[in-house]
Amino acid sequence: MEKLSEPDKEIASRVLQEVGFKERIVGYQMRERSGPMVKSLYSFEEVVDFLNDTFPVLKFDELKRWLQVVMKDEELALKVEEAVEQGHTDYERTRLIRDLMGERLVQCKNARRSMA
Amino acid sequence: MNGYMGEILRVDLTHGKIMTIPTRAYEPWVGGHGMGSAIFFDLVKDKTIDGFDPANVVTIMTSPLCGTLVPAGSGRTEVQGIGVQSYPIGWFTRSNFGGRFSTMLKHAGWDGIVIEGRAEGPVWIDIRNRTVQIRNCRPLSLWGTDTWACQERIWNYVAGKGAFGDWLTLDGGGGGKTTQRPAVVAIGPAGENLSRMACLIHDAANSSGQGGFGAVWGSKNLKAISVIGTGSINVHAPKALMEARLRQTNTYAFDLDNRKGRPLSTVFDAPPRPVTLWGTPRGSKRPSEGQRPVACVGCHAGCRGRYESGLGNEAHCAGTAFYSEASSLDIQRRSSDLLNRYGVNAFEAWRGLEYLRVLNKEGVLGPGKKIDFPLTFKNFGSYEFVEQFVKMIAFRNDGHGHKSQTGADLGEGFVRAAEKWGRLEGEEGDLKTGWLNFPYWGLPNHYEPRAELEWGYGTILGDRDINEHCFNTIFWDVLISRFIGGKPRATAEETVKICTEKMIPFQGDHLMMDYGTENMYSEHMAKLVAWHRHYTRFWKQSALLCDFRWPDFINPYALDKVGSTGESEQKFFNAVTGKHFSFLDGIELGRRIWNLDQAIWTLQGRHRDMVHFADYIYQVPYGGPCFMTSRVNGAWEYVNISGRCIDKEKFEEFKTHFYHLEGWDPKTGYPSRSTLRSLNLGTVADELEKNGKLGKG
Repeated sequence: MEKLSEPDKEIASRVLQEVGFKERIVGYQMRERSGPMVKSLYSFEEVVDFLNDTFPVLKFDELKRWLQVVMKDEELALKVEEAVEQGHTDYERTRLIRDLMGERLVQCKNARRSMA
Repeated sequence: MNGYMGEILRVDLTHGKIMTIPTRAYEPWVGGHGMGSAIFFDLVKDKTIDGFDPANVVTIMTSPLCGTLVPAGSGRTEVQGIGVQSYPIGWFTRSNFGGRFSTMLKHAGWDGIVIEGRAEGPVWIDIRNRTVQIRNCRPLSLWGTDTWACQERIWNYVAGKGAFGDWLTLDGGGGGKTTQRPAVVAIGPAGENLSRMACLIHDAANSSGQGGFGAVWGSKNLKAISVIGTGSINVHAPKALMEARLRQTNTYAFDLDNRKGRPLSTVFDAPPRPVTLWGTPRGSKRPSEGQRPVACVGCHAGCRGRYESGLGNEAHCAGTAFYSEASSLDIQRRSSDLLNRYGVNAFEAWRGLEYLRVLNKEGVLGPGKKIDFPLTFKNFGSYEFVEQFVKMIAFRNDGHGHKSQTGADLGEGFVRAAEKWGRLEGEEGDLKTGWLNFPYWGLPNHYEPRAELEWGYGTILGDRDINEHCFNTIFWDVLISRFIGGKPRATAEETVKICTEKMIPFQGDHLMMDYGTENMYSEHMAKLVAWHRHYTRFWKQSALLCDFRWPDFINPYALDKVGSTGESEQKFFNAVTGKHFSFLDGIELGRRIWNLDQAIWTLQGRHRDMVHFADYIYQVPYGGPCFMTSRVNGAWEYVNISGRCIDKEKFEEFKTHFYHLEGWDPKTGYPSRSTLRSLNLGTVADELEKNGKLGKG
């Protein structure tokens, strides 16, 4: 998959901020024995952490919409859509998306550092 | 009486009296939960008392199998009494912990302990074989310690500071030598401060988590019970027992050299490894330093870990899922330790913290907010944050030693706190929106009642989150298979056939395992729930087989994947006791115990009208995945039953089916005389009648 282009200042700022309750995205942390845990995720970084879990369940179309509407990161949203098509299992899809979002997070943190 | 020691210890804390009960008087109930319920019924005359009332009786029971090397069936201890955690009524309830306590108790010569009354000041109970003393906490400064410090002080007091493996000669209780140290179960500050989510802790992290028994002990001024014994347990047929164990582990247990199926953690064939749910931003799941698995007495497949650093020792399951947002693995491991040291129920703390975060995000909770709450959520993820949070629950203050009303409220549990904060009122109340994810009896959600029906129905028809994973293995196996693109252990059709064949006396009714929406309120589903209640009440909670490993339904190591349940349980039981017990005898005794429990709840004030979920379960669809067995065009498949609510009216129909099946009055849910008489519970019927609560029929 192609590299993501560098994010602009607005995207970097949104990615590094927490969102409010109404802008949160909800996932299900599936952990054997402890049950499905509804997880409210309040930041881009929390979503990346969440996707690092063993069986994270996030509705991919909701994630795409969240990236478009809340993060206003159209490029990443389209890449996520591509990743969903590319993966053969939800495990693969989740890992691809995690890597994409992880890459964007690093970009944004670097951007903040260079601005400081 | 093989498998038994012959006497139950009875301690009256009010009068400082040590008495005994002959085990034989309660032998028909076998042990564990059955004996505990029967003793409670006899000793607590007024069942409507509060859990904090000194007249509340707490039973701590073993089973004939404890300490006998039955695989995953030798190490549990059952705790019962009126709890203080559930809402609106603290039901007569149970909890259960592993480790070595029950074995040591039997080695000391006791089948169980019955605690009555309230001591004048803080005490602990010192059991050395047959010598039992109620000791003041002051000389060892035990009151105020955390559960680990408390145990350490008692070990040193009873056994000295010898090195590992040193022989200890008991100076009381008729002598005897052992290399072991006392088994201690203790409360932490949460129990002392009567926090309703306080639990009992034995060793590092064996926790009797639900029911708030830590607070019940705290109200009795009981800090700890220590036991050390040098005796042994008479087994009827030791050779048959060892042969049964070897056959069981050779045929049905995990085999490293010949692996079959995907390893799961809730099955008999689980590999020995720590079941930890720690997760971190970097995705690391397990500590990287030196570690080894730890097992309860007699278990073939330990499920806990001990680590070189000591962080998170023996913590597992929900105790390691708490504070998954921690910013490092070590912080999360230390969070698990906080729960165990302060003696706080992991599940309620975990789910409750999620709720507080929602309220904080909504801007209603935090320093200076409408709900003036001392925690600063800017530090969420740090150790300082979680330490303050756990201390708020345990000390019922601001977590820094200062008075705080909201800290005091937290000690009441999250539903009572939310009610006090006005969060349950109106159409947008937090139990209507589901923000407060506590679906039954004021207790946190575990497995989803809108999807995994036997779990939700079993819980609301009982007294606590059942936490019984019998059928839950199917959910996990299929979910993981779908996620990674593999095959489950068995097809849906095989699963239904294998499980239902074992579910006597309802065997062969395949529709019991149709979790689809069309079948979810049916008579068949009522049978599934009833069988589950009866199996667990006896085999898991009275014989004390471990929930992690039993029942053994589908097993990839077995011929045709048919696990050992229905064949093995009674073999072990009979080898130990010399009785001629059948699997069905166990199910029937489970039914008898379940009926006795229902009678106790009825006397406490339960009526069918109270048996309902929180409103959001009827209004908000479950959005997560859940694959269970169901019929599609006549064929069995694993179906994702996500996206549904429970229909309130139809759930009433289900209750009617269930009450009919149990022989209880469908109008009230009260047990009837004919049912109780058929179970040889005529005196229980008399008691219900005397209180105007005997069911018709």
